[in-house]
Amino acid sequence: MKRLKRNKGLQTYSREHALYLKRCRRKSALVWTFRIGLLVLLLGLWELVAATGVVDPFITSSPSRIAKTIASLYRDGSLFYHVGVTLTETIVGFLIAVGLGTGIALALWWSDTLRKILEPYVVVLNALPKIALGPLIIIWCGTGSKAIVFMTVLVGIIVAILHMLSAFIATDRNKILLLQSMGAKKFQILRKLVIPSSLASFVSMLKVNVGMAWIGSIMGEYIVSKAGLGYLIVYGGQVFKLDLVMSATCILCLLAAAMYFLVALLEKILVKTPES
Amino acid sequence: MKKVILQFRDVTYIYHTARGETTAAEKLSFAVEEGEFIAFIGPSGCGKTTLLSLAAGLLKPSEGAVDSGGVSFGYMLQKDELFPWRTIEKNIFLPLEIKKINTKENRERARSLAAKYGLAEFLQSYPAQLSGGMRQRAALIRTLATDPDVLLLDEPFSALDYQTRLNVTEDVSRIIRTEGKTALLITHDISEAISLADRVIVLSARPARVLASHELDFGTEQNPLKRRELNQFSAWFELLWKELNG
Repeated sequence: MKRLKRNKGLQTYSREHALYLKRCRRKSALVWTFRIGLLVLLLGLWELVAATGVVDPFITSSPSRIAKTIASLYRDGSLFYHVGVTLTETIVGFLIAVGLGTGIALALWWSDTLRKILEPYVVVLNALPKIALGPLIIIWCGTGSKAIVFMTVLVGIIVAILHMLSAFIATDRNKILLLQSMGAKKFQILRKLVIPSSLASFVSMLKVNVGMAWIGSIMGEYIVSKAGLGYLIVYGGQVFKLDLVMSATCILCLLAAAMYFLVALLEKILVKTPES
Repeated sequence: MKKVILQFRDVTYIYHTARGETTAAEKLSFAVEEGEFIAFIGPSGCGKTTLLSLAAGLLKPSEGAVDSGGVSFGYMLQKDELFPWRTIEKNIFLPLEIKKINTKENRERARSLAAKYGLAEFLQSYPAQLSGGMRQRAALIRTLATDPDVLLLDEPFSALDYQTRLNVTEDVSRIIRTEGKTALLITHDISEAISLADRVIVLSARPARVLASHELDFGTEQNPLKRRELNQFSAWFELLWKELNG
């Protein structure tokens, strides 16, 4: 086994393995070429049909018009303002939902009785479409960012609770027995076993909640807002400026993807799966 | 006579669930002497695991008493239950952390124990990188890390394939004998019991009662594989087989 490892370090593979690696690289290059090719093709097609008048760019917008709109938003300084507003609401809501949700899940894991008492409430809250609470939220939190953060938390927190609770409960019973036989207190079981064994679930919950946070913040901005990307989309729709709607949507795509990749990066750091 | 370090006196244990109650053990009585290796055999589901939990004090008897007079226990389960996110070394230190005796001295002792039984080069490896036999050995060293007086072995070999099983049995036997530990082994495998123990206690189907207790006559032969070759082995096997099925 040791020799194998050393060989790996010196890159002295057999001919067959070198060929295999070459095939892998070729395949990866192919995938990336087509990924980017598809994007270019679609954008090109869109631009073409809009420019030749096959479809009305007033309704469909076009890549060049989107680029112009974004540029003009950037020039009058409102681009970063709107992005900043939405991003702040989303991240604050996301962090509160994740933190509070995990905390509540811990409490529910800790106390069996509490869990049984609260179970029906959690189930109903999970099934309830959070947007139904829109009017209430406006009255409670006003029409500012606070209302939108509240909506974001509401959308994300139940998912966080349910996801983490099921992870905590799934902790290996035999490992708990083992710790008990060592005389472990409940807090030690939590710290040494339940939390570390739920780390992978925590990261997958983060990934789900990135999506939830964006749903919450944009939904919140639809209901009540004076700024933000959701506001731009609603406003653009109302005054029939589809360029604005499309631009805001594109920026949203980029931001959501960036946030997802940040979480994926966190996963690489946190969840180290030892190679077998 | 040696010192008795663990005694069951008319121990009855009843499990309560929403569906009703089950008597898992009934009027169990036996004594364990220091340094003794006792194997309990009995039909599956006869409450053998309950017996170990009672011994370790994880369960309290419904009636009767378990006298363990301050001895410490180490538990070894069917699977190694090594934590995959900890290195072997950190796994072995786990009971030290739990018992809050994670001193440099104790860590050094655990490390030297691991080295003595061939785990030195694996200390920084993760459990997934070890073979099943090595993992079970690491689990035993983890159990020994706190230097317990009595080892409770709950079918620790049953999850292994046959060849590994014979090797690990020999391994564990050697380590326990070398360290001079008292051990209670739970198994449903008659030949495993005969090859390992000084004394075999036969339990009835649920509720578990003591049917018979046999002092094995292998003298100083403690190697499980060698015992299997001796003449007494098959005689014991036949006797215990009859008692279990009788």
